[in-house]
Amino acid sequence: MPNRRYVQLDVFAPRPGTGNALGVVLDSDGMDTAAMQALAAWLNLSETTFFLPPDAGADYRIRIFTPGSELPFAGHPSVGAAWAAIVHGLATPHDGRLVQQCEVGLLPVQVEGEVNAPRIAVRSPHARKLGAVTAPLPAGLADIAQSGQTALWNNGPSWWLIEVASPELLRNFQPDFAAIAAWTNATAATGVAIFAHESASGHDLAVRAFCPGDAVGVPEDPVTGSANALIAASLHAQGRLPHEDGCYIASQGRELGRDGVVAVRVDEQCHVWIGGQVQQIIQGQLDW
Amino acid sequence: MTRRYVQLDVFATRPGAGNPLAVVLDAQGLDDAAMQAIARWTRLPETTFVFPAASDDASYRIRMFSPRREVPFAGHPSVGTAHAVLDAGMAVPRDGKLIQDGIAGKLPLRVIGEGSERTIAVRTPRARVQEIASPDDPRLQAALAGLRLGTLPPALMDGGRRWWLAELASEADLRNAAPDWAAISTLAEDTDSMGLFVYARSEDPVHYLAVRAFVGAPAQFEDAASGAANATLAAWLADQLALPSGDGFYRVSQGREVGFDAIIELQVDAEGDVWSGGRAVTVVEGAMDWPG
Repeated sequence: MPNRRYVQLDVFAPRPGTGNALGVVLDSDGMDTAAMQALAAWLNLSETTFFLPPDAGADYRIRIFTPGSELPFAGHPSVGAAWAAIVHGLATPHDGRLVQQCEVGLLPVQVEGEVNAPRIAVRSPHARKLGAVTAPLPAGLADIAQSGQTALWNNGPSWWLIEVASPELLRNFQPDFAAIAAWTNATAATGVAIFAHESASGHDLAVRAFCPGDAVGVPEDPVTGSANALIAASLHAQGRLPHEDGCYIASQGRELGRDGVVAVRVDEQCHVWIGGQVQQIIQGQLDW
Repeated sequence: MTRRYVQLDVFATRPGAGNPLAVVLDAQGLDDAAMQAIARWTRLPETTFVFPAASDDASYRIRMFSPRREVPFAGHPSVGTAHAVLDAGMAVPRDGKLIQDGIAGKLPLRVIGEGSERTIAVRTPRARVQEIASPDDPRLQAALAGLRLGTLPPALMDGGRRWWLAELASEADLRNAAPDWAAISTLAEDTDSMGLFVYARSEDPVHYLAVRAFVGAPAQFEDAASGAANATLAAWLADQLALPSGDGFYRVSQGREVGFDAIIELQVDAEGDVWSGGRAVTVVEGAMDWPG
């Protein structure tokens, strides 16, 4: 069996262990869909990405797998893959830009900083509001939700977004995972993201994301690119972004012993960019 | 600091068939909190940490963590770690044995063979026959309904955890068995046992026996590779003078019905001790950067 270059990264992580882990297979030649899915299941990371030769118009191509299925796009794997592509010499940015090919299509990536420590931002797919909540919220969530603010948004995955009045309510919230699973299954949602403004401590927003339902099967996700992008889109739509320049910092994962930091930017064209720091934790060879 | 790191598939002869394990080979300087954080981050069932031996009568020191807590002892992490330590040249067997020093004490590991053929086994706690039952036993009837039984009677074994063992007539019967989860959970609850462990003789040239482990409520799942339950089966077969091979060594196939293909190797030695173990396949080999 061939030895493949493999790295395991911590994404949205200011320090090792504070973010969301990502498996990256840098040489995927000869692996078919079944082999990629089997490896992603064995590694058991929230996502594993596989590098493939890109089509014309793209600088690199990835496929993204959870332990259970393939994803057309996801934020944290895209940020990590772009970082790995640059650091491991699979792609070279031009004027601070790369084009990533994934199953959803071509997506622009912004790159700043040094080649050995690039700062990455990935443009999230178009966000749209699918609808407001019509039935009562599940127990627990109803107690912390600010009235009239709950809506279902989609940028590939669909997340219920619930604004919470204070960061204390958010940090202390004890989710009823069975109730959240039932609600998200019934509404065909990926999960529920709750957020609160928290301006005192180096970030502007505190976020938590729950996806215990059939779509993902993870009770609480440590750091979530797609949900953070949708929160930005919804705040922008309401004219309530934390800062006028469209940039803000979100904190996620402290309740799980992590301390993820997501850099969010809404640009002049209303596109949402998601970025953050990447730590390389494991580097080696994979035999599969 | 950069530390040697491997990720193995234990009880496997090919990647993806067995039980995954992460091993940090140079764990010096990592405190309890850092080890727990690494085990949470790898998301594998267990992550082990290898330290230099603290005394001459041990080959190395080991700590084992699940993503949630430290584990005093478990079979598959012990077997996988010993493979990784030997591959890295960090210890040499003496008289075919390594001595692992963990928080459960010093424990011998038996090393047989070399290279890809190498098997490592742990000595399991002595298992006792708790009870031999009739197939018509009312407590067992529902759980065994629809299964074609073999010649040995059902038995309740205690090897730390208690399991009901039942022989099925053939490997085909075993592979096609559809567990009645409600009945198995009732059996587990009523008899303070893990559940039902079924086994059958095999015509396969690699394994002598095929087994399936049905764990009752609240967990209620089929286990892919059960080192300890297989050890109680070996003790039962030895008690019944029904071991599948004359020298006390045999292989078991487990987990195909749940997407795995584990091979577990059992040995009943001259003293009647049961050794449970197997091979391991290295999937990831490299370095880990973690502060500490």
